[in-house]
Amino acid sequence: MLPWVFAINENELADGEKKLLLLEDKTILLVRQEGNYYAMSNKCPHMGCPLSKGNLEGFIIKCPCHDWKFDVRSGEFLAAPEIKAPVYDTDISEGKVFVKMDGEL
Amino acid sequence: MKKVLMYTLSTCPWCMRAKKFFRERDIPFEFIDYDKADEQTQKMIREDCESHGEEIAFPFIKIGEDVVVGYNPRKYSEFLES
Amino acid sequence: MDTGKRKEQLKAMFQRVIDPLGYKYSPDTELVDFLLEQEVMLEKEKGSPFCPCQGLTGEREHDMQLVCPCIPFHREHFDAMKRCWCGLFVHKDVDDPDKLLQISRKEFEESGKKDRF
Ligand code: FES
Repeated sequence: MLPWVFAINENELADGEKKLLLLEDKTILLVRQEGNYYAMSNKCPHMGCPLSKGNLEGFIIKCPCHDWKFDVRSGEFLAAPEIKAPVYDTDISEGKVFVKMDGEL
Repeated sequence: MKKVLMYTLSTCPWCMRAKKFFRERDIPFEFIDYDKADEQTQKMIREDCESHGEEIAFPFIKIGEDVVVGYNPRKYSEFLES
Repeated sequence: MDTGKRKEQLKAMFQRVIDPLGYKYSPDTELVDFLLEQEVMLEKEKGSPFCPCQGLTGEREHDMQLVCPCIPFHREHFDAMKRCWCGLFVHKDVDDPDKLLQISRKEFEESGKKDRF
């Protein structure tokens, strides 16, 4: 299976916005910020709540359940960076956004 | 005998052990379960914890003028005897 | 959901959180079982598995930092005790949890360094 998976067309997501995607059976949170795309697992490492329902401020997504905050660039939990949500590489080609689904598990 | 007052939680095993410590030694004490208390009592307890520079962590035990936060039999004895 | 099942679920979820922080469940299995049971009750009553040994205030910012495992928000204090306040979690190298004392926040702050205990 090809690791690069088509996610969305660039024009589907405005800068500063987030979107929930289902790619290869995984729920992925895609964020567009300062022109770049960031993809991370949508499942909160705490108790599995969907991060897509949380608040996005800059590069920080706040889980709706217990307010744990994660950096979408690294997947790191701000209060303890040892705790990380899986993140995936992204690429843009001809107006299409791709996510590399062989990222860390 | 020094007056012993405890703030406890009904869910906290260390609070139960603290009560057991005093009961086993026949030392009378009063206690309030923070989680079962009304709002006003909770507020009073919080203020009391904070005035001692502590978090709202249990058990919070006053032995006379001294305060012990946590299950610490050595300190209980020390303060009871001092 | 039945309490026993939820306890197992919480246990598995928390294991993934505490492991990278250098903690494990206390070898005192009776204590672990009791505390997880309290957390399931607290979750039923209040919506989240809060710490059974610390007081909620009703202020979201305060209370959310007491959802188990609360280690990330009390890291230095708990590291100094080698356990969390409840004793549900201990450092991975701890074999005899009964030797670990509860050191209050204030004592910890006043000590300035952990090797005094
Ligand atoms: S599930 Fe996300 S903070 Fe608890």
